[in-house]
Amino acid sequence: MYSAKTMSKDLIIETNALTKSYGPHVALDQLNLEVQRGATGLLGPNGAGKSTFFKTILGLIQATSGEGYVLGHDIRTEGLEIRSKIGYMPEYDALDDDMDAIHQVRYSGELLGMNPVVAMSRAHTAMEYVGLGELRYRPISSFSTGMKQATKLACAIIHDPELIIADEPSNGLDADSRQAMLDTLSNMVNTGNRSVLMASHLMDDVERVCENIVLLHKGKLAAQGRIEDLKAIDREIEIHVWGMANELEQALGKDGLEVRREGRMMRIRHDDEKTTHRILKCAADTGAQIRRMHEYEASLEDLFIVIMERFGYGVKSSEDLLASPAEARKVDAPESMGGSGA
Amino acid sequence: MTEEPTFDASAPITGKGRMDTAWGSDSADQATVAKPKAKTGQVFEQVYVPWEGTLNPRWMRNWAIFRHHVLGIIRKGHRPWGVPTKLVLIFVLIASMTDVALTLLFAVIGEPSLYELWGVGRNNLYAHVLGFFPRNMLFYPLVAALLVGGVISEDRSNGTSALYFSRPINRFDYVGMKFLAVATIQSLIIIGTLFLYYFADILSMGRGWAWILDTFPMFLTTVFCALLLIITYTSIGLALSSVSRGKFFPGIALLAVLLGTKTLAAIVEGLFDRSILYLLSPYDSLAHVGQALIGTNVMYNHPWIWSLVSVIAINAVSLYVLSVRVSSMEVTRE
Repeated sequence: MYSAKTMSKDLIIETNALTKSYGPHVALDQLNLEVQRGATGLLGPNGAGKSTFFKTILGLIQATSGEGYVLGHDIRTEGLEIRSKIGYMPEYDALDDDMDAIHQVRYSGELLGMNPVVAMSRAHTAMEYVGLGELRYRPISSFSTGMKQATKLACAIIHDPELIIADEPSNGLDADSRQAMLDTLSNMVNTGNRSVLMASHLMDDVERVCENIVLLHKGKLAAQGRIEDLKAIDREIEIHVWGMANELEQALGKDGLEVRREGRMMRIRHDDEKTTHRILKCAADTGAQIRRMHEYEASLEDLFIVIMERFGYGVKSSEDLLASPAEARKVDAPESMGGSGA
Repeated sequence: MTEEPTFDASAPITGKGRMDTAWGSDSADQATVAKPKAKTGQVFEQVYVPWEGTLNPRWMRNWAIFRHHVLGIIRKGHRPWGVPTKLVLIFVLIASMTDVALTLLFAVIGEPSLYELWGVGRNNLYAHVLGFFPRNMLFYPLVAALLVGGVISEDRSNGTSALYFSRPINRFDYVGMKFLAVATIQSLIIIGTLFLYYFADILSMGRGWAWILDTFPMFLTTVFCALLLIITYTSIGLALSSVSRGKFFPGIALLAVLLGTKTLAAIVEGLFDRSILYLLSPYDSLAHVGQALIGTNVMYNHPWIWSLVSVIAINAVSLYVLSVRVSSMEVTRE
């Protein structure tokens, strides 16, 4: 019998100053993470420490210092318990091509300690769930990349884990397969009430499945929080101007508004609720016609670039980011658009 | 307007109600037949089904690994051993029983001189396990090579190591169960047929307790030598499998180690009349230990204890390489 740490009800992963070094190379540097229940995206460029983070929270490698808990279990001493409760879907091929899909999934259940009969029954359920019910007796060698990804997911969910860790789940998939994979992950969170920690390079995928993100960079935590909250650091109003565009741009600048412009399209940083009124007043003063006006929502990719390039690698929650100076939050247009290119 | 039938417990059972339920034959079937909830264009309805069961402890996980490998020889749905491997196993199993068949044959014929050739004795027990031709030149190294070839290397190349290590399985259990599975299959052939040979003699010749008491220690010593042979071949083979990504190299390398070292030592002995180089040959070291323990003619000039040390050293080095390589197997990428 093992003892589980009392974690906050909404947290599935918690780390305190978690550090992992390989000799002089620090792969994870003083990581303070709090991953909420639900779907969370783990973002970071190559070498950011995502794989090391996974191995550390699975209890496969020992942290150099600090502590961490997954589903209430200590990653330093309770790796086996953690791996019993999570479902891990690896990024790379992890299937025996010569086996039938159903038997591969059944075997993955047996490796968790399931009775062979129960494992077979659950394998049918899992294959049905991932959409391979009709193909389950086919050898894996005849599967497309999408089917293999789905089979890996079936292997991960056979024991109904509380947390599914999916490493690049849409890697190498075509549009339809990708959609199916993302829908399945979303379905697990929304109707299955499971949690998903999903690592991906594709911001769009993360945005479609996850409510929260964690950004890693060079082993440090760059940002964590709700995607909607983090996006608020980069809010702008986009207007399309007809006539007097130069005059309007100057007037907006004089009024203290930050403007990025490309031809007749301008984006003005959204400081507060009076921004819209100030833009309209400038337009009225200069005689410029505003043909279209709407809030421009930064994509997750924009946000990623902002955080990585502007804020360095310090720990940032959404509160920290929102409280940072306006100058630091400025995302300038490329030089071709008249910006500084920064 | 037609009144909709009800299907509660108190409702009368009528043929109409049954037909409606089964086929929706009535005009009001829209109301009584289950409708799919899936949206138009959706192939299936994706419903997450939770599982309330509990996972069994460590021994069940280990049993799963062992079972997966051993049952794969005879049943579909487990580890897919190649057809050539299965054919060779069947051939070697049958070929290993030649002494059983001949013992039975000559016992039935009742020809004592021929029986002397094939009956249970010191030399024949030794030959069943450690005889060079054909068993240790053709049969057992080939069986070991085919079995160990992909056991670990294919987990590395297929990425299935992630399937094991993302589960609550530690590396010791992983490699231990694979070792045990491969050794068990070899044991079924080598030791299984040795048992058949011994008990066929008892049954066919109607041996009494005196004969059994006289030969049983010799038989047990042969079983011990067979275990030593199986463990050594498996250790070397799995070590080679762990340093590779395919199944060809480990198989060929095992044959090269077993037969190459013997050939080299034989050449050196022929040229310089020195048998010390046989210490490098796993087969010869095992044979020397076997000759000393079973009590047949010793064919080597150096002390047998040196060969025993050599066998232990070969196993230690192999298991060290195996443990280091298995420790380096990755979950996130290979």
